[in-house]
Amino acid sequence: MTATLTEPPVSPAAPPKGRNRILPSPVTGQELVLIGVIAVIWVGLALATPAFLTAGSVRPLLVATAPIALIGVGMTIIIITGGIDVSVGGAIMVCSVITAKALVAEVSLAPAVLLSVAVGGVLGLLNGVLIAYGRVHAIIITFGTANLFLFLGLQIFDSSTVNGIPQTFEFFGRGAAGQTLGVPNAFLITAVVTGVAWWYLRHTAGGRHFYAVGGDAHAARLAGVRVQRRQLLAYLVTGLLVGLASCFVIAQGTSTLDQSVGSGKELAVIAAVVIGGTSIMGGRGSVLGTFLGALLVQSVTSGVTQLGWKSQLADLFVGIFIIIAVGTDLLRQGSAGPGRAAGRVRRSLGTLTGRARRPS
Amino acid sequence: MTAPTATPPAAAARAENGGPGESTGSRIVRALLTQRIALLAVLIVVVVVWFFVLDAGGYLTAAYDFDYMSSALITAVPLAMLGLAELLVILSGRGGIDLSVGAIVSLAGMVFGFAYGEWGWPLLPAILLTAAFGALCGALNGFLVAYLGFPALIATLATFYGFKSLAIVINNQSPISTPPIQNLFSITRSVQLPLFGQYVPDVPLGLFTFLLPTVLVVWLLLARTTYGRRLYAVGTNDVAGRWAGIPVRGTRFKAYLYAGLISGLVAVVTVAQFASARPDAGVSGNGMALPAITIAVLGGVAITGGIGRVAGVVLATLLIVWLNAGILLAFVGNEGSQYQLLALGAVLIFAALLNGLTTRRYGGSR
Repeated sequence: MTATLTEPPVSPAAPPKGRNRILPSPVTGQELVLIGVIAVIWVGLALATPAFLTAGSVRPLLVATAPIALIGVGMTIIIITGGIDVSVGGAIMVCSVITAKALVAEVSLAPAVLLSVAVGGVLGLLNGVLIAYGRVHAIIITFGTANLFLFLGLQIFDSSTVNGIPQTFEFFGRGAAGQTLGVPNAFLITAVVTGVAWWYLRHTAGGRHFYAVGGDAHAARLAGVRVQRRQLLAYLVTGLLVGLASCFVIAQGTSTLDQSVGSGKELAVIAAVVIGGTSIMGGRGSVLGTFLGALLVQSVTSGVTQLGWKSQLADLFVGIFIIIAVGTDLLRQGSAGPGRAAGRVRRSLGTLTGRARRPS
Repeated sequence: MTAPTATPPAAAARAENGGPGESTGSRIVRALLTQRIALLAVLIVVVVVWFFVLDAGGYLTAAYDFDYMSSALITAVPLAMLGLAELLVILSGRGGIDLSVGAIVSLAGMVFGFAYGEWGWPLLPAILLTAAFGALCGALNGFLVAYLGFPALIATLATFYGFKSLAIVINNQSPISTPPIQNLFSITRSVQLPLFGQYVPDVPLGLFTFLLPTVLVVWLLLARTTYGRRLYAVGTNDVAGRWAGIPVRGTRFKAYLYAGLISGLVAVVTVAQFASARPDAGVSGNGMALPAITIAVLGGVAITGGIGRVAGVVLATLLIVWLNAGILLAFVGNEGSQYQLLALGAVLIFAALLNGLTTRRYGGSR
């Protein structure tokens, strides 16, 4: 399998008049804007509450960002392939309750992490198999598995909380044991995973295949991409990352784990991915944007609390940020053509003919 | 690797007409797979008979009889209404979906709480205000999706966050449960039907005041008006619709607006059921949007748009409601509510896989 095979499906993501350039630029405009917005928020918060830009305040922010950003890496890959996964909240619950029970049974750090990752992998595999080989729309299957995972998690919880979780996971936590050179380990791991995924998606044939599947699955298949295997892989990777992120979630919590763990996280992750500029239609996006999106959401959330506003207002800002991020993206796409309306008609024509060519 | 939905034209035609050599058995199988209404009807009978047998065998904690089934119908009211709301938006095509219905229920419920519970409005204007407010929320979704071209999933995810946040902040996180709101609980009571009421179980009043009118109006809208035909056309192929002179954007916009309107009515029902306007009514736990989408999909609504019927959504609601009611009796304590999650998830995956199979073998269900 050579990289040249995948180039045509990749082209929608590439600038139309690039100088022989196939890849999009390393950092997109939206990501630069995100960095700017985060900087503005941080400076604004620092001016409003002098305590904000201290290590004691930034570190918890970074630790809290880690799980969402980590799962966001997998979710970005899924959304690039044109899918979606709304079951990660339930998967977090299953992974963390099993791992927490293992910790209570005095399993040490490495086996516990492996257990969590393995459980996450199995759940991701289930999603992947059903979606890739059952040929059903991803959102429907993952709504279904979300319910199954919640059932599984609640059954393992057995109608009570998990108490007395030892400090095994302090390596991932907020405390001094969870830092390397002053930076929280959970955040470092997330940054490394994001970096590796960024390089893989951008510079390897396998990575470009994900974009090819999302751009036009039929064209990708004709070009020799194993579409179903790519889809399966995307959900499997997300499952594994959910397993790792569950360890971070346990480490951030107290010695008690209750049944609300993971609730609503699926939408938070999707929000981070979307704010990061990944197209929900598939075929376009980057994990760097998702990372910044997660950081932005968490900055807003802790900013709202630090300013002494009602913490639920943070959700309103998240909603507004989604509208702004996607809205500017739509505007930019629209203004690329001769007229916005014309551009939209051409795009819908493109999807129409793309669909019509598929045997159905 | 084969193409996903390749059905040879000849095979499709044979399946369509039921070839001469087709046995009765395979004809029944085909009818069940292609006629979602028939499948749901059979499943409802199976579920009800199964629980009757369990009840007769003494495996249930309380009697599963017609009275119980009838009283369980009150939970069908919000579920079926939101399922119909999802039917409208999913029908409109281009990935149409509304994640924000639960958040609209919360926010519109608070508006109803203020109007009826705090400002002392009479009931009818308060309900109208709530419905209008829901329609306004839906119009925001519709504007983003139909006129600005947002993907529906994104637009309604954003408004979900917005409405949810506003609903909680608007009254400082606290519910409104003044005496008028508490007395509203009476509209969820069961009543005896006139004329032949003594022969059948009492039926929850909400069924007549909210659910049946909504079902009727949505059915009339979809099956008996120009708008309905336009909505199906736009959902099936919006470019073809545009060239046929259909106002595509306006049609799609109205689908979201109507979904918001129905969510506003559900808000009134929910406030009455809880006897309190709770700021998290529509989003707590699993929320209301996910079960509503599940109901719509189970009822045979194609997520790609343009296919779906009111009867399918209503029957799917009955199936889930009576299944859930039975499960509650089959387990002790809150085990039952957990097994309801299992049942919902399993039924949804089963229905989705079945849709895929039907598409491949018979060229789609209707």
